[in-house]
Amino acid sequence: MESTALGLPGVSFTPGLHICAFYRGPTQRDELLLPYLREGLAAGDKCICVTDDPSAGSAVRALAGEFGIDIASASAQLQPMNSGSTYLSGGCFAIEKMIGFWDGAMSAAVSRDGFGFVRAAGEMTWALRGVPGSDLLLAYEAQLNVFLHRYPQVLLCFYDLEQFSNGEILLEILRTHPTVLLSGQLLDNPWYVEPEEYLGRHIPAGEPTR
Amino acid sequence: MTAVDSSRYVGRRDAERNLLSSMRSLLVLGTLMTEGADEQQIQQLATTAAPSLAPCDVVTVELVGGPPASARLAAQLRGVGISGGPVTLAGATWAWAYPLTGISGHLGHLVVGAKQEPTSEEQFLLRALAQQTGGALANRRLHAQELATAATLSVLNERLRGSVGALRRSMDIHARLTAVAVSGEGREGIARAVHELTGLQVVVEDRHGNLQAWAGSPPPDPYPKDSPACRERLLARAKQEGRPIRDGARLLAIAHPQGDTLGVIVLVDPERRAGDQELMALEHGATVLAMELARVRSLAESELRLRRDLLDELLAGTDTESGLARASALGYDLQRPHRVVVVEGHCPVGERHPLDALTQAVRRAARDEPAGTLLATRGTEVVLLADAEPDWESLRLGVLRELGGGRIRVGVGERCDTVGEFPRSYQQAKLALRLPALAEWDDRAIRFDDLGVYRLLVGISDLGEVERFVQRWLGKLLEYDAQRGSELVRTLSHHLEHGGNYELTAKSLIVHRNTLKYRLQRIRQIGQVDLHDPETWFNLHLATRAWNTLGVLRSG
Repeated sequence: MESTALGLPGVSFTPGLHICAFYRGPTQRDELLLPYLREGLAAGDKCICVTDDPSAGSAVRALAGEFGIDIASASAQLQPMNSGSTYLSGGCFAIEKMIGFWDGAMSAAVSRDGFGFVRAAGEMTWALRGVPGSDLLLAYEAQLNVFLHRYPQVLLCFYDLEQFSNGEILLEILRTHPTVLLSGQLLDNPWYVEPEEYLGRHIPAGEPTR
Repeated sequence: MTAVDSSRYVGRRDAERNLLSSMRSLLVLGTLMTEGADEQQIQQLATTAAPSLAPCDVVTVELVGGPPASARLAAQLRGVGISGGPVTLAGATWAWAYPLTGISGHLGHLVVGAKQEPTSEEQFLLRALAQQTGGALANRRLHAQELATAATLSVLNERLRGSVGALRRSMDIHARLTAVAVSGEGREGIARAVHELTGLQVVVEDRHGNLQAWAGSPPPDPYPKDSPACRERLLARAKQEGRPIRDGARLLAIAHPQGDTLGVIVLVDPERRAGDQELMALEHGATVLAMELARVRSLAESELRLRRDLLDELLAGTDTESGLARASALGYDLQRPHRVVVVEGHCPVGERHPLDALTQAVRRAARDEPAGTLLATRGTEVVLLADAEPDWESLRLGVLRELGGGRIRVGVGERCDTVGEFPRSYQQAKLALRLPALAEWDDRAIRFDDLGVYRLLVGISDLGEVERFVQRWLGKLLEYDAQRGSELVRTLSHHLEHGGNYELTAKSLIVHRNTLKYRLQRIRQIGQVDLHDPETWFNLHLATRAWNTLGVLRSG
């Protein structure tokens, strides 16, 4: 399968990946997120970015301005969104609702708007605020791996190590992502557990802790 | 290859593949640990990951200096040391302490317990996990140390920046005030500079609280002044503090070169806006003011000394050319007629007036009259070279007013038309001052010109003849007074000066009229004189005045 530049020096990926990107603090986040989107925009990919930190949202909207993209248009190449209208729409998190969102967004991008490839990004810090349904995060991440093959896409989940400080949770996050972006390297994740197995042995017991 | 060999080969390949996968897992885990936020996160990753690498039931991280392990485990960990080794754990048939080692040395142990001993490959993975964990912990500590060092450096840099800023401001203030000091702008210039540096109203006061200069908004008129006691307390406090002090709405610093308070510089700051920079400007201002006031005082003292020296030489007799030249250099014109005036003063309680106060009083009275400006102290007297002919009694009363009471005597010498005549005029002024005193006249100012017969007596060169005349007429009475300690000559002198008026004589002697009559009776008997005889009266009057004159001449 043809590899695609991720946006970071020397890092490329094959389509269909569900990547867990670990970073520390807003500066490192933006150093990963913005090149990833910029590379996609330059390549003509559809970019859907769901941010949780308002400063990240501002940076993404500035990027749209840089490329002259009208983000008010439904078919805009760059679609900035926030966690309140996606992961937490309706005041709680639900797996089906969120996967339905991705399904609709990907479908529209590919089938309706004719994009050949979709880059998605999600900032996951919303899961630490104790909103109802947050405990389903890991199950959701596992199920995304099933959804992944429906569209020509790559999903990049952003986890802040300073906020997700609980080592046990970090290991579970590792187990739900087949690929991990760590220290500027994209690695096949040996800790990954196939969704059927993971969901079979892990019953969500509570929301993630910091 | 046989079927058995093939089967063994496949089994070994599977084991190697598993080991390789586990090593990759360790690599990812180690990287995640290195990126980790804190030590607890690293420990949790290690303890959570260990069961995935080898079947184990108990996994703990025991750090040196961390929360203490059980006493039994702690003792075992001390026993195995930095190499690690087997330990015993409750409920575990196998347990091992793997050393956590980083670049900074031994950090602790990863303690793992299992119901059965792991395979050698699994133990290898656990050891590798311990190495990854130790490395990550060491990195985290190093990073934290670097952050702390950076934070310390940042604080130090900030302080240094503050110090440099303060130093620069101090230099600016110093430069501005030094420029004022050397430009000779005086107290006004200093007040203006401090006002420009602080934006606050500035006043300069003398040590008594009198306004000397100001800058900014005009000070109130009349300028308020503390009582002397209050002022002294304030100055004492400022001196003790050694830095600017606050007195209500005012911040003040004293100018006291060599410990002698010469003045005060004040920032008027009712809203208490003054900060370090304003205080610094005030302190520098006080230093420059001290220099300025010391300079002014030194000049004044030099001028006083020069004036006193000139006066001394003029009164002692100096050559005309030199006297005129020096006087001209000090701004005096000695080629006009002058009189030498001697002033002596006593406080209301009888002591002499402090010489400084008397000098100031004479200076002001002479200026107001006007009578002249060249004066100096000589002994207990103030000597004035008068270049005008004022009403001398008016001058005396002026001095008395300036001093606020007491007694003032003024003696005025004859007019001098040349510098060489000053010594004579001076002697005359002293006689004019002392004769009335000896004759117990009142304190009115006396010109030598007006001394009448005294003036003739003083002019006689052969005092022996005068003494013989006094002995001829008063000899017996003087002898009697000397033997008995009586005052017959003094009584006679008062009686004659008052024209024989009993009332006035008794009053001037402060004796009872009967006492006076008794003394006059004794005078007639001892002196064998007839006071009703006009010739005798005249000779006795002349003799008593000659006796007074001799007294003054002998004492002078």
